[in-house]
Amino acid sequence: MEKSESTKIDVVETNKEKKGKAPLLGTAAAPAIVAAVGHDGHAKGGAKRGIAIFDLILRIAAFASALGATVAMATTEETLPFFTQFFQFEASYDDLPTFSFFVVGMGIVVAYLVLSVPFSIVCIVRSHAVVPRLLLIIFDTVIIALATGAAGSSAAIVYLAHNGNQDANWLAICQQFGDFCQRASGAVVAAFVTVVLLILMVVISASALRRH
Amino acid sequence: MMKAVSVESGEASKAKGHGVNRGLSVFDLVLRIVAIVGTLAGAVAMGTAEQTLPFATQLVQFSAQYDDFDSFKLFVIVNAIVCAYLALTLPFSIFHIMRSRAGKSRILLIFLDAIMLVLLTSGASAAAAIVYLAHTGNTSANWFSVCQQYTDFCQRSAGSLIGSFGAMVCLVLLIIFSAVAISRR
Repeated sequence: MEKSESTKIDVVETNKEKKGKAPLLGTAAAPAIVAAVGHDGHAKGGAKRGIAIFDLILRIAAFASALGATVAMATTEETLPFFTQFFQFEASYDDLPTFSFFVVGMGIVVAYLVLSVPFSIVCIVRSHAVVPRLLLIIFDTVIIALATGAAGSSAAIVYLAHNGNQDANWLAICQQFGDFCQRASGAVVAAFVTVVLLILMVVISASALRRH
Repeated sequence: MMKAVSVESGEASKAKGHGVNRGLSVFDLVLRIVAIVGTLAGAVAMGTAEQTLPFATQLVQFSAQYDDFDSFKLFVIVNAIVCAYLALTLPFSIFHIMRSRAGKSRILLIFLDAIMLVLLTSGASAAAAIVYLAHTGNTSANWFSVCQQYTDFCQRSAGSLIGSFGAMVCLVLLIIFSAVAISRR
């Protein structure tokens, strides 16, 4: 105990003695360096904060478009005004399993985007934190794959419903169910918009991860 | 003495960090090669899927080819594009193994990988939707399931999807590892 006290006193004395000689981290130079590093850190933290705010805005926009896609697809149904003696001609989204997969998949995307808003806010508040950003990138990439899978498969079915396929003898049902097809096509377009926004989010999060 | 020890331990941890980054870059290269093989196999398997049924009427011969379906054509084209892209970015991957400090090129690679991921997944899912429809048909839309007659064709087109989805998983892992490598610099 006494030894440490004596070394403490020694250090203080030598600093005072060497004030004029300017060692590696002299007391005069140290505040200037600390101030420079702090200013640089502030500037980079400011850029990262701006990127994080932009990420939050993109996330809310992607949530809106994904929600629009899910609701649009889930509420497509059309009943034709004519019917025969036995059955009525109607079409709804769960007649096609691919559209059911679309609704479920985009529902998961919507839920994820809502749950990731707190993480995004944490990234804004603590601009230099690495782990939240990395987690966001990892889950965003997986969600990109899910959303694109749902959107691509439904796009194929909508295309088939519009054009039919002569070789497989599949008739184009859009010629009768026009409203149904329009709504489904709108939902697919909204899903692709969500995917584009997700890509932007991943890229700007990755650029914010860089320690310059 | 204490200062020297702390500087040394700092350098040692830096070297360790470089080692992990180098390992990540090597794994990146391996994943890229696996994805090339997957997309190539998918494109070839789908492109050679055709079947002619052994019976024929007086006017028509029953045959099925991949370009009877627009989704399958899209699938082959998309797989070829992604395969070419991955082959062209192999030099980038090797460059990242040698120079672990590359930041801007890694971000460019993440951006391009994300675009290729979207392209590949939408092509593969479109083909998967048509394969599923061909297997099960759809009574509400009066679409007949083609696979009951063209079993070979259906098997081949379904198998080509596996390679494509494997390459998709590889691309997701590539993006994640690139992000981890950027954060560890």
